[in-house]
Amino acid sequence: MGAPISLSTANRANVERSPQNRALLVLLVTLIVTGGAWVWITLQTSAADRIPVAVAGGVTAALLCAAVFFATLRDQQVRAAREEVNGLQGELDRLADDTLPAAARRLREGASANTVFTEIPLPDNETHERILRTLTKEISVGHRQRAAAMAACANAAGRVQALATSMLADLRDMENRHSEEVLGDLLKLDHSTAQAGRLADSIAVLTGARSGRRWTKPIVMESILRGAMGRIRAYQRVRIHSASTAAIVGYAAEDVMHALAELMDNATKFSAPSEEVHVYVEELHTGVVVTIEDGGLGMKPQALERAKTAVSTTESLDLTKLSGTRLGLAVVGCLARKHDLHVFFRPSSRGGTGVVLRIPNQLVTQPRPEFPAPTAPQPAVTATGSVRTASAGGTRTPSGETMTAVLDGEQPEQPQQLRSLPKRRRGQTLANSPQPSPSPRTQHPPKPRTDAGAKFGAFRQSTSRGQNPDSPSANQDR
Amino acid sequence: MMVRGAVDSEDPDRLYTLTGGRSRAEARDLDLVTLIVSEADPTPGMQSEHVKILRTCRFPTAVVELSSELALPVSVVKILVSDLLDAGQVSARHPTSPRASAELPDPAFLKKVLVGLHNL
Repeated sequence: MGAPISLSTANRANVERSPQNRALLVLLVTLIVTGGAWVWITLQTSAADRIPVAVAGGVTAALLCAAVFFATLRDQQVRAAREEVNGLQGELDRLADDTLPAAARRLREGASANTVFTEIPLPDNETHERILRTLTKEISVGHRQRAAAMAACANAAGRVQALATSMLADLRDMENRHSEEVLGDLLKLDHSTAQAGRLADSIAVLTGARSGRRWTKPIVMESILRGAMGRIRAYQRVRIHSASTAAIVGYAAEDVMHALAELMDNATKFSAPSEEVHVYVEELHTGVVVTIEDGGLGMKPQALERAKTAVSTTESLDLTKLSGTRLGLAVVGCLARKHDLHVFFRPSSRGGTGVVLRIPNQLVTQPRPEFPAPTAPQPAVTATGSVRTASAGGTRTPSGETMTAVLDGEQPEQPQQLRSLPKRRRGQTLANSPQPSPSPRTQHPPKPRTDAGAKFGAFRQSTSRGQNPDSPSANQDR
Repeated sequence: MMVRGAVDSEDPDRLYTLTGGRSRAEARDLDLVTLIVSEADPTPGMQSEHVKILRTCRFPTAVVELSSELALPVSVVKILVSDLLDAGQVSARHPTSPRASAELPDPAFLKKVLVGLHNL
């Protein structure tokens, strides 16, 4: 770093010295020329006139020489200054066009300010370097603050998500236990909690955290739609028309539900409270298409453009364009990019807007066979278990199930293995499922645990002997 | 871990979305042991719980059994069944019908039958 600076000062000194040199050279030439002329003129004139002519000629020559010297000197100085300015301009251009953008890019990628200084070529000019250092430090601080804020938000959202999920589970439990009198109130609480959970999910998605929960089984379209419906305020205005039997793979189900909930929420918010929102499901060979149609006022071209940008799969999320109240489409955009969902807007035949969400084939699977073929009436207690396992064992495993099994990689839990009834885990056929009766753990008594310290002592003893045979004190203290 | 196990067996749809926000069935005298019999076959596009009820009730099934079969609270099942009753797709058979008491024969007539039996 020191070398370029000293080089540049040397250059500057060179530039400063050369105009004087050149001016002196010109002065010398002028002196010779005017001196020669003066001598020649003085010799040519008659002796009587020689003195005044010599004096006048001498003064004129001296003035001329001085004028030429100063003019040349100034000219050279101006030229040198212009060169210097041009050089500085070039350096400034390089700083603005190459160095600063490169530094900003590296900082955005997560490098620290010091790393950036070592990586990018520093400008020769000291002032430029100061500018670069100040800006880089400021940008770096900004990035760090942003990252910290995002992480804090994501963390808080995650905790709210967990809280909402456990509250929903508790509420469901209470709904099963308590009588009709309390059910209405419980359902109301359930609805509020589901909406709060959606809000937490939205914040989590925008801050780049994972969505609320993962389902460990494929979720049928009907449940997806109803799950989405249950998270919005005006769910009673949503009418679902679906004969689809497809299911969404477990790992994407939550996100698809969330995206649909946001779209349904928009549809109910931007249409009159008396209007219904209709949801249609269609299975195509490219995937499952869900259409949400409202009878609102429709979207103005400008709003439509904004909406299209928000949900486009090519443009990444711009947090600066978020407003506090309209997170919905930004969330849908994030989810669409994550799972390659396609969202289209079009005018609806009902007068408002129709939103089309296409769920790609890789997220679509078939649900587990759950409902048995009609059988003779049986006592309700045994009917569920036995018939379900029989039908599950006889049917091939749909591909989607194995996929979720691999992705989730969940291990069967011990207490369930020890139970008496056979239980089929996800992605297993009945033949492969763990046999419950004599579990291998209960058959073999657990091995006596050898003391880890003893083993280590033996190891150390052997090495110390190998290294230093005549000092037995190494393991005396053991 | 305990919460997770409970959560995993769940479905994402909330109960209020099954019932459309209702929490009690309108003035119907369905009780736990009312037998439900389906009168029609399920049609595509029906709510899956309705389909399940119709399939299960091909043979008379009590409301409480439906509740256990669908893994739903009894009050929710009552709402679902009353929807189907309104649509005429199931019928309810009451073990003790209040109408039956109204149609009981006249006590005077019964007394005459008793006298006749004694006279035999």
